[in-house]
Amino acid sequence: MTDVLDGPADAGELIVPSVDVGPEGQPVGWRHRHLLDVDELSVDDIDLVMRTADAMREVLARPIAKVPALRGRNVTILFYEASTRTRVSFEVAAKNLSADVVNVAAATSSVTKGESLVDTVRTLEALGAQMLVMRHGVSGAPYLAAEVFGGSVLNGGDGWHAHPTQALLDLYTMRSRLGSVAGRKVVILGDVLHSRVARSNIWTLTAAGADLWLCGPTTLLRGFETWARHGVGGTRSFHVTSSVDEALRDADVVMALRIQRERMASGLLPSLREYAARYGLTAERLATAKPDALVMHPGPMNEGVEIAADVAAGTQSVITDQVTNGVAIRMALLYLLAGAAK
Amino acid sequence: MTDLDLSRVWLVDPASGREGPGELVVVEGILDTVTWLEAGEAEGVDAMGVVVTPGFVDLHAHLRQPGNEDAETIATGLAAAAHGGFTTVCAMPNTTPALDEPGVLAAIRGAAGASGSPVELLAYGAVTVGRAGETLAALGELADAGVAGFSDDGAPVRSAAILRNALAYAGATGLPIVDHPEDATQTDGGEAHDGFIATVLGLRGWPAAAEETAVARDLAILAEVARDVPDARLHLTHVSTAGALELVRRGKAAGLPVTCDVTPHHLALTDEWIAGARRFAWDAGTDGDPWRDDAIVAAPYATSLRVNPPLRTPADALACLVALADGTADAIATDHAPHAEVDKAVEFGLAANGIPGIETALGLALLAVDAGRLTLARAIEALTTAPAGLVGRQRGFVEGAPADLVVFDRSDRWTVTAEELRSKGKHSPLLGMELPGRVLLTIAGGRVAHEAPALVAV
Repeated sequence: MTDVLDGPADAGELIVPSVDVGPEGQPVGWRHRHLLDVDELSVDDIDLVMRTADAMREVLARPIAKVPALRGRNVTILFYEASTRTRVSFEVAAKNLSADVVNVAAATSSVTKGESLVDTVRTLEALGAQMLVMRHGVSGAPYLAAEVFGGSVLNGGDGWHAHPTQALLDLYTMRSRLGSVAGRKVVILGDVLHSRVARSNIWTLTAAGADLWLCGPTTLLRGFETWARHGVGGTRSFHVTSSVDEALRDADVVMALRIQRERMASGLLPSLREYAARYGLTAERLATAKPDALVMHPGPMNEGVEIAADVAAGTQSVITDQVTNGVAIRMALLYLLAGAAK
Repeated sequence: MTDLDLSRVWLVDPASGREGPGELVVVEGILDTVTWLEAGEAEGVDAMGVVVTPGFVDLHAHLRQPGNEDAETIATGLAAAAHGGFTTVCAMPNTTPALDEPGVLAAIRGAAGASGSPVELLAYGAVTVGRAGETLAALGELADAGVAGFSDDGAPVRSAAILRNALAYAGATGLPIVDHPEDATQTDGGEAHDGFIATVLGLRGWPAAAEETAVARDLAILAEVARDVPDARLHLTHVSTAGALELVRRGKAAGLPVTCDVTPHHLALTDEWIAGARRFAWDAGTDGDPWRDDAIVAAPYATSLRVNPPLRTPADALACLVALADGTADAIATDHAPHAEVDKAVEFGLAANGIPGIETALGLALLAVDAGRLTLARAIEALTTAPAGLVGRQRGFVEGAPADLVVFDRSDRWTVTAEELRSKGKHSPLLGMELPGRVLLTIAGGRVAHEAPALVAV
């Protein structure tokens, strides 16, 4: 990695200030070839991602936010599900690092002709893909891709399972505002059952020592009581409740999750109206949290359902920070994985 | 014809309840003499070496022919059976077309004959036409043609009303209804047992209750039908939860004509394996947590572990072993379910359900014996006389009858590899693992069905 750090930059001098560079030119301590889940990241790994993201924020603050760290490297973005913010965020992150970016939307690819994931991944590799960012509707799909792909796979969200970059950018956003999340009451409110964001946040937030609460209708918390009883890795614990009052009381952070309309069809909820009335994050409910509690949402939002419009746009909202930090976190991960894959 | 002279081996004969050192001679395919030795006459012979038992009977296998010969054929399925020690195999009727009329049975028998295998092939007929669950198949004609029973396996008999009629109608033929207990309204989209592991991995849950409500339904209907039709019989296949086994236990205690089997994978493997653990149920303990226990040694989401019913918790697997030991579960049946590679080399949630298990059943059963969860005698009984009795067959060392036996060496561990497996289904979750009890020789109906290569060389 030393060469790209020292080499001439397209946009002035390249410096990634606080990223340590080890004797082999690799970021110190980073040993992962893929980023498939956050459960494989140690506390040190997470800290390294955060510090690298700090450096990337500095890059982003420059007049021309572009460094040549990934110049000549092919980052292919393969999304099997509709996405705006995650896909664009990865694309911007890769371009800020000067990578060659190839975008594949499964809806317009041979996938619609029945091509298997394995064949698609092999084809993309043959076409030069070195890093593969993928989003897939089936839990675990990135593991299958990683089995056949010669480069690095970054999970951009798989089924209900994991959304590692989202959890890392959420943690980064909380730390930027609160310093540390240790001992802070963090509430994830909404459709936990179907949420990869909630699952990944369980690992990162408990590792960071947060007092984590999951809240929603009992049908959308199915199984999480048992997980909470087990703990995470045997030591870290969290809370599960269907009482929104209990969850929000004195909270430091409230993260609302998207409610999807399909949930009504499968009998999990009577109606969106009832959900909004009982669990929607309104100004009145938010008032029971700490006065300066942070309001977050991974997007896309249904304003008026899981979150009131005035709360989403209010002074406590850090939702746009999440989007900006998302680019820094994804730059950091692309950078770290590129170093490890060398 | 086959001649064989085995001396100083460990004999297990569930028919007579005997187990011990002995000698066994086969002349021209006929079991000539069986000699039981006294302890003093057989120094150094024990149950940990070469063991001879009657041939195994598999109540539940998918041989895929006709219709899906990419996954398995009757010839490869019977070769795999012989490699696993089985001399009788009951094929499920979920072929294309389904075995719902005698013509399909004739075709299957033709293929078995053409394979040249001496392994006996039995087949179940479908309960309903096309296994669609709507109208009764030709149960009487199928019985006359010689099916072993009736099953819509792959799916439950969906309609309770049809099940009631099928139990009554089949009862008059003396044949069992073999039901796959699953309430599909609870398992729609299900990917893994609905528990801690599925929650963490974000897999759609497949609740134990989906099996237990189906078993309860079947037993309630059976209780009523059996009052009027004393010969009505229900066999529940691949029972996998502690609760379902408890229902069967109570049903048997109440005198219901119900029997059941458990699979080798449900008694040894657990849902932890989907997370990447590779420890057996008895090593996981009932409060196991693979993350806490640092037990994750493989990548998660291996599609080789996707099966219906799903792998359950360690507590459920241990309940399967207890049920086998106490007789609640009558038999071990493999649910051998090979698939073409294209149906497994996909995302977990899109992969076909099924584990090819006919060649690894003995190894897993012996591991359970080694772990002290089952006696060798009971494991062999659950593979031989118990299932044989359920499909009108007999097993035992009968002098003067055609030899039907398996010889295996408990001390000879073999590695499960794609090359070792005779089945076309190479997607065993045990690939790369060592199992005890290499099968040295399988003799079916007096003819050699399988011979270990090393034995041929000697």
